[in-house]
Amino acid sequence: MANDIPETFSDELEFSTFFVGGALCGINILNIQEINKHFEITKVPQAPDYIEGILNLRGRIVTIIDLGKKLGLAPVNRSKDSRNIIVNSEDEHIGLLIDAISDVVSARKDSIEPSPSNIGGAKGKFFKGVLKTEKQLIGILDIDEVLKE
Amino acid sequence: MFQDDETLQMYIEESLDHLGDIESDLLTIEEAGENIDLDLVNNVFRAAHSIKGGAGFMGLTTIKDLSHHLENVLGLIRNRELIPDSTRISVLLKGFDQLETLLKNIETSNEVDVSHHITALENITKASVPEEKKEMVSKIVDIVLPDGRIFPQVSLFEMEQYKSEGKNLFLVEYDLIHDIQRKDKNPIEVLNSLQKTGIIIDSRIDFDSVGTLYDDSVPARIPFQVLFASIIEYDMTETLFDIKKQYIHAVSDQMIVSATVKNPDGEPSVMKPIRAPKPTSTEQQISKTIKPAPVENQKQSAISAAKEIKKTEENEEETQSSAEKEMNAAAKPQSSLRVNVGLLDTLMNLAGELVLSRNQLLQGINSSNQKATELSSQRIDMITSELQEAIMRTRMQPIANILNKFSRVVRDLSHQLGKTIDLIIEGKDVELDKTILESINDPLTHLIRNSVDHGIESPMEREQMGKQPTGKIILKAFHEAGQVNIVISDDGRGLHPNKIANSAVDKNLISEQQVSEMSDKQKMELIFLPGFSTAKEVTDVSGRGVGMDVVVTNISNLGGIIELDSVPGEGTDIQIKLPLTLAIIPSQITSVGNERYAVPQVNLNELLRIPAAQVKEKIEKVGDAAVVRLRGELLPLLNLAEMLGIEKTYTVPAVSEELPERRQNLADRRSKHHIITEEGVILDTQDGDADFPQRKTEDRRYHSASAINIAVVSAGAFKYGLVVDKLLDSEEIVVKPVGRHLKKCSAYAGATIMGDGKVALILDISNLAQMAELSAVSEAGQMARAAEEAAAAAKDKAALLTFKNSESEYFAAPLNLVERIERVQTSNIEQIGNSKVVQYRGGALPLYELSQVANFQPLAPRDQQEVIVFKIKDRELGLMVMPPIDALEINLDIDESTLKQPAISGSMIINQHTTLLVDIFEMVKILNPGWFKEEAKAAAEMATSGEKIILFAEDSAFFRNQVKTFMEEDGFKVIEAEDGLVAWELLNKRADEIDIVVTDLEMPNMDGFELTKRIKNDPKYAHLTVIALTSLASEAHIEKGKRVGIDEYEIKLDREKLMKVVRQRLSLSK
Repeated sequence: MANDIPETFSDELEFSTFFVGGALCGINILNIQEINKHFEITKVPQAPDYIEGILNLRGRIVTIIDLGKKLGLAPVNRSKDSRNIIVNSEDEHIGLLIDAISDVVSARKDSIEPSPSNIGGAKGKFFKGVLKTEKQLIGILDIDEVLKE
Repeated sequence: MFQDDETLQMYIEESLDHLGDIESDLLTIEEAGENIDLDLVNNVFRAAHSIKGGAGFMGLTTIKDLSHHLENVLGLIRNRELIPDSTRISVLLKGFDQLETLLKNIETSNEVDVSHHITALENITKASVPEEKKEMVSKIVDIVLPDGRIFPQVSLFEMEQYKSEGKNLFLVEYDLIHDIQRKDKNPIEVLNSLQKTGIIIDSRIDFDSVGTLYDDSVPARIPFQVLFASIIEYDMTETLFDIKKQYIHAVSDQMIVSATVKNPDGEPSVMKPIRAPKPTSTEQQISKTIKPAPVENQKQSAISAAKEIKKTEENEEETQSSAEKEMNAAAKPQSSLRVNVGLLDTLMNLAGELVLSRNQLLQGINSSNQKATELSSQRIDMITSELQEAIMRTRMQPIANILNKFSRVVRDLSHQLGKTIDLIIEGKDVELDKTILESINDPLTHLIRNSVDHGIESPMEREQMGKQPTGKIILKAFHEAGQVNIVISDDGRGLHPNKIANSAVDKNLISEQQVSEMSDKQKMELIFLPGFSTAKEVTDVSGRGVGMDVVVTNISNLGGIIELDSVPGEGTDIQIKLPLTLAIIPSQITSVGNERYAVPQVNLNELLRIPAAQVKEKIEKVGDAAVVRLRGELLPLLNLAEMLGIEKTYTVPAVSEELPERRQNLADRRSKHHIITEEGVILDTQDGDADFPQRKTEDRRYHSASAINIAVVSAGAFKYGLVVDKLLDSEEIVVKPVGRHLKKCSAYAGATIMGDGKVALILDISNLAQMAELSAVSEAGQMARAAEEAAAAAKDKAALLTFKNSESEYFAAPLNLVERIERVQTSNIEQIGNSKVVQYRGGALPLYELSQVANFQPLAPRDQQEVIVFKIKDRELGLMVMPPIDALEINLDIDESTLKQPAISGSMIINQHTTLLVDIFEMVKILNPGWFKEEAKAAAEMATSGEKIILFAEDSAFFRNQVKTFMEEDGFKVIEAEDGLVAWELLNKRADEIDIVVTDLEMPNMDGFELTKRIKNDPKYAHLTVIALTSLASEAHIEKGKRVGIDEYEIKLDREKLMKVVRQRLSLSK
């Protein structure tokens, strides 16, 4: 379970940040299995709209979710910058298709603020909160909520 | 409770293992009744015993109590003091069931109330024990060690039993630390090794003597006490137990004192039994309830015992069902698996090989040595296949694991319903993938229950029908054509097609109109429809609101097929065909747009390609639905792209760019003019031409690709054509599950990874049909099929090989006589004297042509010569013919007179050509009379020694003459009959003369099955051998024939084999 990641002693968390549909989002780095650029994606007709397709990741079938569509933002356009973030959830690998990857940001746990309800046009329930940095706001994603069927 | 998880787990696994065989053993014991098979009883006894031994040590008091009481009863059976009748076995079975439940829920086992089982068991024990011993049965004693410690709660009765068997009793104290832990053993192993030399009555850990942390003296030992009975003398024990003699105590009578359990306070403080409070109290209750009994005489107490058993049985039903529920709730798929060590070694070896080959491959690549790379890639290919096979084998489990439990199901059910039924299980060692095995359990249980409940009649009914009062159910598993077959056949009342049809009409499942067009088989198959149940009233045995449709769905989910065959009044056969494994399946790869889709081969019937020019005439529209006419049957078409909503795209070859397709429906061929076809090809080559920019996107339809590709598939009752863009290769694919987000997409059964690393989806054929709302079997198809079946039933079908002798001379020969078809170079044919031969497989194959035997044209000389190789009298000969050579199955409608000539048995019309049927035997006789010397001799002998008479029933005049002729040539006398009824009358008139009966199966008035049945059921004729002649022998037919008593099956035109069998049978019956 994504939420079961043990808290570190120092309350210091690291987030991998990325762009999706124009918004800057972050995921706890401990949730992430790998980030890759495989786009040999097989379409799955009749699947929910936000499913981009399925992918062969070293012999496992991985479902790829268009994170932009899932969050209710603009769909991801596959380009040279786009990536799959592979996360592990309920013993299954799931890929999140994003527009571009950004920095890894560390922050104290208590510096995350509750999210304003209208963050980036997305539905608030997908976000655990926001993290303010000098330049920008980072929406911290609630992975379990995002990956709910 | 004992907390060492690993030891506990080991104990549970072992115990469940022991329990595994008990059920069938007990049933066999029950069957044997008074003739007790000691080995078998010992088996069960030892199992109960080992479970008890471990339980005591683990502190599993309830399990210990229960197994102890089971053991007592078994002990009595073993000593022949008790006859295992069915009531007693029932109690034992239920006890063992409870034991299994307890073991599976080990955590809560101590809290479960098993008193009713124990009472029932004790009643059995008491009823059979002599008066003076009765008290002892429930008497619990303690054993006092010389140093004052106590080994508590031992059954005196049990100890006495062992003593009376001449065994010595020892109390052995191992030290858990020094004797076991330090020596790298574990307690279960110790117990197991002790079992080999004697019997463990009880075991426990004496925690109390360890004391507490506050005690001054730190004890050096944790005693692990085992009460042991063995024939070994005290002197020998030191070596046996491998511990010092001071820790081995011979148990003498002085050491045994009455139990102190009733006064917990008075218990010595050194000791406290590790016992959960509840079972203790039940035990007290038991001893109370039992107390008043002893004065009664034996008989009475036996009766009261029986009564109590009944009572407890009733209670049990409830507790058991609740226990079952609990178990189901907690039921997890078996997570550990037993694998043969040899197989593991093979796997290890293969893994080693794989590593070696990888190294070679890397070396080859690094040094750019192409030869080495190729070699190692070949090796890896081979190793991978072997590895795959070996790993699959680890998943294979014998089907016995599930079949065995049906003996119990049948036994319990038949008791409940007052029927007597023999269950015969065959093919227990057939192996199936573990997952399939787990999933067929429920469907099979349902089918077996059905057979017992609805199939087999009550003994009274059976006797009225002239059957054995004991019903028979055969459960058979066998391999056939890469699939596992499971057949459940009963000799019960069978299915009545019309009753089923009426019932289906009553339930509004189908219309009367539909029924009138159905064949009997189709009517019977109506029971597979959802919402159908044959029982007039729903019984709690098999009618649980779940119908056969669930069974069908379950089985087809596994990629299996279910078939039904039944004769009213005689029984029902249900055949299930299952794939060996689900993990790797052969599949047809198809493609729509840019994606590939796999169709499992089990669902695939055939591939159909409708050329562009025929699309319009072959594909028709019925209402909205497209259908294709396939051999007189209308096959509904599903367009995969439409169904899945795939945007139809196609790739322009030149730019490899995807463009949306414009064709609106299948029958709409964009090309209105066929002439453009060539133009289209030209277009293709001039792909840069600016004059045709617009055309290119449309003109794809002008290529051959505009043909329509159809995969004809079936799943359960559905059969349809799946229209795809392309039909690619057939491949073995590895089924992988898809993620949870896609679980709702029912169109797919999973996904697989193709050779190029891309993923392809596997189609779920039955769900696709449901999505498209296809009716189970299309009505039009049904009509066509019913008509076809009716026509086919009226005539004899035979498989023929057709060929030509010259451009205008068409011939046919029975396919079953043909060995092979060869093509030889004319230059290789040698002319020796009058005959031609060709060197062939190290020998000379004589070659003939039809012009040698009859007045036909000689073959035209060609470079190559087609030769049909026949095998007759174990010798091969070749008939030179002209192509095309084709095999077909056809209704024989032979004209015997018009074109009759030597070696030709008659003529018929095949594909609008008059075709002559070659009589291969006659041909050989003309060409090579020497081959038939033996027959002539046999015939001559028979003529002198008295003729044998064959009664031969056959409706087709052609076959009657054919077969009769060759029978007579072999020296037999033949009595002919046009149908079964005539044959029966003839038999009644001339019974004394007839030696053997040969009969056709399909005949008017009375068919071969009925005739055989009459013969076999009549004591006057039952000794006669009946040989059935068929044109096409199907499994189902043979099975049905066996049931009525047909001794042999022979193919009509295989003269040699038939006569051999006739001769064999007659000499056997002499």
